[in-house]
Amino acid sequence: MSPTEATSPAETTAPASDIELSGISVRYGTAKAPVTAVADVSLTVDRGEFVVLVGPSGCGKTTLLRLVAGFQQPAGGTVKVRRKVGVVFQQPRLFPWRTVGGNLSFALARHGVVRTERAARTEELLSLVGLSGMARRRTWELSGGQQQRVAIARALAAEPQILLMDEPFAALDALTRERLQEEVRTLAAVTGTTVLFVTHSAEEAVLLGSRVVVMAAGPGRVIDEVPVPLPREATTDVAALRGDPGFAVLRTELAAVTRDAATA
Amino acid sequence: MTLLKDTEQGTEPAPTTAAPHTGRRTWAGAAALRWTALRLLALAVLLAVWQAVVAAGVWPRVLVPSPGDVWHAFVKASTVHDGVRGFSNHLLVEHLAVSLRRIGIGTGYAALVGIPLGLLIGVVKPLAVVLEPAVTFLRTLPPLAYLSLLVIWFGIDESPKIWLLVIAALPPIAAATAAAVRGVPADLVEAARALGAGPVSLLLSVRLPAALPEILTGVRIAVGIAYTSVVAAETVNGVPGIGGMIRDAQRYNQTDVVIAGIIAIGLSGIVLDALFKGVERVAVPWRGRV
Repeated sequence: MSPTEATSPAETTAPASDIELSGISVRYGTAKAPVTAVADVSLTVDRGEFVVLVGPSGCGKTTLLRLVAGFQQPAGGTVKVRRKVGVVFQQPRLFPWRTVGGNLSFALARHGVVRTERAARTEELLSLVGLSGMARRRTWELSGGQQQRVAIARALAAEPQILLMDEPFAALDALTRERLQEEVRTLAAVTGTTVLFVTHSAEEAVLLGSRVVVMAAGPGRVIDEVPVPLPREATTDVAALRGDPGFAVLRTELAAVTRDAATA
Repeated sequence: MTLLKDTEQGTEPAPTTAAPHTGRRTWAGAAALRWTALRLLALAVLLAVWQAVVAAGVWPRVLVPSPGDVWHAFVKASTVHDGVRGFSNHLLVEHLAVSLRRIGIGTGYAALVGIPLGLLIGVVKPLAVVLEPAVTFLRTLPPLAYLSLLVIWFGIDESPKIWLLVIAALPPIAAATAAAVRGVPADLVEAARALGAGPVSLLLSVRLPAALPEILTGVRIAVGIAYTSVVAAETVNGVPGIGGMIRDAQRYNQTDVVIAGIIAIGLSGIVLDALFKGVERVAVPWRGRV
């Protein structure tokens, strides 16, 4: 893995922001009866930041992520994405006709990795997500958590400098979710990857984010931004962090704000 | 460097231990045995009723032969007797083999053309607008209707027969492929796009394999249609061939041979369909699991 090269000194002199959304509006429905899903949202994500979008259903947080990924276009406003993007979805979205290793080599091939190097890179990626030696397994033989690990490895295969994650742990059981939260936090810290992460859980937002952006629905808009002054080193003991009083206070505050957002 | 540790492996059932399944498998085996017994019983009842009808003498024996007559015709058509080889100088298996070969070649060409055609119809809207009605038009035509045209164009040798089977088998394959390609989950296409897949690799590495289960079903249906069309294909100069054999037998009122031929077609169809299901299990093992 070498996404760390993205944070080398030469590159940090470039524009400091990775993602710039300005004056974004998104509309659905027909021309006669348009529904404004997102109204005038601006958001900047700097290099190496871990920004979490949190808010109730229908607040447009996933829509913003899809705009950044290029899956859809805004009705108004501009989207600037300065570096290469990788996406992890709520569902693993693995290709069932390919093995675990086949899913990774699909991504490696699109990324331009030559055939002879793909097997070695596949094994590296698998060991990165704790699935060493599982390259030949069928995707449906894996548990939900293991499938999501493969999806993360597949997104990392293209060596993205920006990782977009759309409620990636929402469909997992609590234990697996906690484990993966810690691992993604550490992964981001080690590699310096910029992350834009969508969730509806205040706890997940505080645990992962260096900054939390709170959104409200009807129409979708940003109503608050909360910096998270918790330690972010690769060596940080995430499990201990959950018991930290500072974490508890932030989580409670943010939960209150998001509750207000839901009724706003 | 391991950042994500796998902790779930312990909670996962080991896939290699077959012990817990053995009980279920024995039960399934017993059930299969019971179903086979039921089928044999149904067959015995059918034969008994048939024999009773013949014995009652309602219709002349020439029109409705007994099961024994058909069996005799079957044996006669399958052996050399008095220097005569089977029926029309070919054994029944040879007739069947020639027809199966035609079905195989016809469906093969149909798949070769139909799958790419279906892919194109599925993804290129203007092509769909033009070709989809054409495919539907072709699908509704009875093979006997265009056989005359094919005979005029291609004569009475092998080629009109193959053409007829291709025309009969192509529409279901193209239609199934087009529908399957359109039905590929948008989620998977989006995931592939996010990984940098272009239009060509999207079509060949995502849409095609995702559609494969339904394409194979389309091919299986096409084989069935080729089966039902082979008698029509062998109407003109069809010997050797099981359809030709039935035609000739009809001409000489050999009802027993006709029935033996029909049974041979039906039985080989059951075997072929079972084989095809086996191929599907091997080729698309993920079917029904995602």
